[in-house]
Amino acid sequence: MSDTTANGLAETSARPERRDIGIKKRYAAERRFKAYGIIAIAIGLAFLVALLWSVFSKGYTAFWQTEIQVPITFSEEVLGTPEQANQSQTKLMMANYPQIAREGLAQLLDVDTSDRDAMRAVGALISDGVRIELRDMVLNDLSIIGTTQDVWLYASSELDSALKGQYDLAVPENRRPISDLQLQYIETLQEQGAIEQRFNTGLFTFGASSRAETAGVGVAIIGSLYMMLIVLALALPIGVAASIYLEEFAPKNKFTDLIEVNINNLAAVPSIVFGLLGLAVFINWFGLPRSAALVGGLVLTLMTLPTIIIATRAALRAVPPSIRWAALGVGASKTQTVFHHVLPLAAPGILTGTIIGLAQALGETAPLLLIGMVAFVADYPSTPMDPATALPVQIYMWANEAERAFVERTSGAIIILLAFLAIMNLTAIFLRRRFERRW
Amino acid sequence: MENIQATLNRGQAVQSAKPIKMKSQDVTVHYGSKQALNGITLDIPERQVTALIGPSGCGKSTYLRCLNRMNDTIDSASVGGKITLDGEDIYDPAIDVVELRARVGMVFQKPNPFPKSIYENVAYGPKIHGLSRNKQELDEIVHTSLKKAGLYNEVKDRLDEPGTGLSGGQQQRLCIARAIAVSPEVILMDEPCSALDPIATATVEELIDELRENFTIVIVTHSMQQAARVSQITAMFHLGDLAEVGPTEKMFSNPDDKRTQDYITGRFG
Amino acid sequence: MSTLTIIFLVLVIGLAGAFLAYRYSRSLAAKDGAQLHSRPIYHASYVACWAMIPALLALMVWLVVSPIVIASDVRGSFPEGILAETSLTEDLAYGIVESLGSGLRVLPADERETITDATPVAELRELLNQRGVPIASASADWMVPLAIQLNGMQIFSRWAMTAVVVLLALGGAFWGYRNIAPRLRARNGVERVVTGALIAASSIAIMTTVGIVFSMLFETIDFFSRISPMEFFFGTEWNPRFSGAGSEGSAGSFGFIPLLAGTLYIGFVAMLIAVPIGLFAAIYMAEYADSRTRSVVKPLLEVLAGIPTIVYGFFALVTVGPFLRDLSAQISGLVTGDYTSFIQAQSVLTAGLVMAIMLIPFVSSLSDDIITSVPRSLRDGSLGLGATRSETIKRVILPAALPGIVSALLLTASRAIGETMIVVLAAGVAANLTINPFDAMTTITVKIVAQLTGDLEFNSPQTLVAFALGMTLFVITLCLNIYALYIVRKYKEQYE
Repeated sequence: MSDTTANGLAETSARPERRDIGIKKRYAAERRFKAYGIIAIAIGLAFLVALLWSVFSKGYTAFWQTEIQVPITFSEEVLGTPEQANQSQTKLMMANYPQIAREGLAQLLDVDTSDRDAMRAVGALISDGVRIELRDMVLNDLSIIGTTQDVWLYASSELDSALKGQYDLAVPENRRPISDLQLQYIETLQEQGAIEQRFNTGLFTFGASSRAETAGVGVAIIGSLYMMLIVLALALPIGVAASIYLEEFAPKNKFTDLIEVNINNLAAVPSIVFGLLGLAVFINWFGLPRSAALVGGLVLTLMTLPTIIIATRAALRAVPPSIRWAALGVGASKTQTVFHHVLPLAAPGILTGTIIGLAQALGETAPLLLIGMVAFVADYPSTPMDPATALPVQIYMWANEAERAFVERTSGAIIILLAFLAIMNLTAIFLRRRFERRW
Repeated sequence: MENIQATLNRGQAVQSAKPIKMKSQDVTVHYGSKQALNGITLDIPERQVTALIGPSGCGKSTYLRCLNRMNDTIDSASVGGKITLDGEDIYDPAIDVVELRARVGMVFQKPNPFPKSIYENVAYGPKIHGLSRNKQELDEIVHTSLKKAGLYNEVKDRLDEPGTGLSGGQQQRLCIARAIAVSPEVILMDEPCSALDPIATATVEELIDELRENFTIVIVTHSMQQAARVSQITAMFHLGDLAEVGPTEKMFSNPDDKRTQDYITGRFG
Repeated sequence: MSTLTIIFLVLVIGLAGAFLAYRYSRSLAAKDGAQLHSRPIYHASYVACWAMIPALLALMVWLVVSPIVIASDVRGSFPEGILAETSLTEDLAYGIVESLGSGLRVLPADERETITDATPVAELRELLNQRGVPIASASADWMVPLAIQLNGMQIFSRWAMTAVVVLLALGGAFWGYRNIAPRLRARNGVERVVTGALIAASSIAIMTTVGIVFSMLFETIDFFSRISPMEFFFGTEWNPRFSGAGSEGSAGSFGFIPLLAGTLYIGFVAMLIAVPIGLFAAIYMAEYADSRTRSVVKPLLEVLAGIPTIVYGFFALVTVGPFLRDLSAQISGLVTGDYTSFIQAQSVLTAGLVMAIMLIPFVSSLSDDIITSVPRSLRDGSLGLGATRSETIKRVILPAALPGIVSALLLTASRAIGETMIVVLAAGVAANLTINPFDAMTTITVKIVAQLTGDLEFNSPQTLVAFALGMTLFVITLCLNIYALYIVRKYKEQYE
């Protein structure tokens, strides 16, 4: 196809005069506007980085705990003989374990046991948790009575913090929680190789404790787990059923309109209001126990429902009507159409929405405070009716502790919480990528 | 066919040799990996109506959007080849796209008035380009543009009412007025009548014919009658190729290309 | 028999019925060669529905009603003296009778035999204490026969319930089984049940709202019967002294104004920071960013939305608060030479700033949705006239999207007002009335938490005020939400 000749046209037209349309100024405005956008995003991302950095830099040390290897003499003098122990464990239960730990450490440090001040300094290096640690050792194995064993003991939180460099050692001795004498002992222990930073399994297994080194999120994780199971078991079926009704069956009338507005509103009701609901209805009317994971689960279920319903409805709506017509066309009933064809196709979307809803519920704190989950729970709850606490609530309680070691623990617990959330959200993203269908 | 022939015979402007306003050489467009245009070479004469026809999906709208670089707004689109306006390459990095679009205006398939008053709709272009120094001048531009678009008498009493409240045909003429208000040199029209009823279509077609006096117009249409009625030059597109181009009269009476023959006799499309 | 066992029994009966029905209907089809209206699986479900639904409904009703009936019966036999006392005393007495009754069930059979109506309560308490059942010391001799009566009634009720429920299940299964015939429209029946269940599920949303309103309404009314609404809504002093038990007179003052002011002020500071940042981020993302940038930045910003608020609270408490305090100390040191900080660690600014971080993704993703739903044709129309992108955004897109953005901001504001954990940790607990953003103020949500954590007696105004606060909070956010949702709806309709 030739060009000019085909049209039989003359040469290029002359260029008309150039108009001044203020291009320069307008582009300056354009650049400014664009820069605002970039600055806004940069600020947002900077906040994210600051937040994560603050948590991680404070918290990663929580996963290590200082322990001291101490030769412990389980003397019959203090504990009684194994035969006595077989008859009654009272003496074993009541024995002064911290003392034998102290003495063991004193021996290691070559400190005179009659020097009271020195002994106090020595004792403060070991966690009070030795009482339980040593007692359980003896109860498990009575034959160690009368022997001397090398045992790794938890160091006190002061020693731990000092070793992790969390104290300013330049300030005068009386203004810091650890004395020069103790620092000297620590040095000695380091030289002997009897002090070590080990992976802190206690953080994952212990319950509430007033001593930082024996406080952990184990109990809280179980509480949260119970609640998540309850939320999953209730919110998923109810939410899916409600969405199916609203999306597939409901006639368009005032009532369904009301439900619709209602659900959208519930999604935006402050979470603390759900706490008040739980307190008044589940605890006061139904007489369910305070602090129980069951009540927490029910409250979180009601909170999660709108999220799941909104996600499920979107997933159902994304299934093209042609699928429904095809099924109805071969004589399937409405219910069969929905359950055999529409629901399976919407399942990935529903699952994604559910996981995101669960993640929200996992991080929720405020309503749980009101139903009494701010409890000092040291024992694992064996049923959902037992007093329990939850991961975010545990974080809240620790955040209120002033001690330096608790700040570290709190950050550590936050890291654990964020890890759970990250896993859940990544799963949701993976599912969406893997199973998402586009029509 | 009778009808078209009649239209053609009834007073086509005399084909004098007009200078070329826009010139394209070997223009290609890719959407992602899919090629939508395979090298179009076409000249657009000044102050004439050039109609682009062809079956749907043939690339005529894509080509039109190249002419004022509206394809820039689609991330996946990439344009090759060369298009000049008054001899200047419009894809030259030195060329400013805003300035280009002020010179090459566009009217879209579906009327798309802004959700503002009729007055604001027309005044929008002059305002952003700073074409008026004061309110009087702006009023003047708005009124003239509305008059040129043949809409003034219908809306002069309600310039403050929203443009979205007008009828479809009025909305489209408002969009044309909006384009005229910037005083472009070229106006691109992408099936401007496809969303309109026959009476509104007739009004807009008359308008296009009048606008030819001042503007170079390129119109995409799927209606052959429309092409015959309003254009002087017709270009036939087929599957991303330019099948044939020539004076409208010749295209409809004696096309060279078999595809054009098939199309205008209604074999496909 | 425990409730769980009964439920299990009903399930077994239902499943067994379903199995039999399945076999029977298949045999029907095979024997007569008759065309079944519904497939065998629907016959099975039909029988299962008949077996389980009436039985479980009866179980539920029985569980709710029988304690009420028994309680009213037992209370009717209370001595005159107790009935004349306040309802609280009566409740207390009933509680003791109940624990005596449940204690009786713990005792082994031979010991229980020895307890008669004439047994003194002290003896019973002794026996129970040995079994580890503590009994309140306020127990009296007249309670023993009542406890025995209560115990008897409860045992009887349980047996009767078990019998009724199991019979209903069997009867239902039998009835359903009898009905099976080739032309039985079992599928339609089952589908009606399914639809009913779906409707029930969707009304839970309504029930939740009703529950929220009523649970707070009663307590709020109770509160206003003690403290006048005028004093609550217009009082400027908040000092609800926790009175010791019994000292009725010292109720303290419940002025709502400082809390409202704090809530709004902190929310305002947060919005002041979050809205421009969120909005500009959304505009950049929707209009400028290429898809690669978008796919990286958008999820990153959304990470901020996924972080639990308790984490923000902790961040405010240990990082932002001290940072602002030290920063202000440095600034005042540089300006005046006096290194005292003028920003407190817990302050309106701290809480507002951290809350803003939480709100940024909220603003940006809502606005992003709104901006991208402005039709492309408007964008093209403006760009086609030679407008620059920013002109298109400022003059066409934002005006078109304005209602949507306003509603997004209202939803954000509602969120800021209802936010709890950040302000609990970062705003402080002092109910100040100040305009200095560097001072601590407190919010409605902080006070709800403060009044309801720890040991609470449910009848004091100190506790009840939390419900009045919650009700107010609910009403404020409800208005914001409904209005915002209404605007969004209108907006969406415009472009559909």
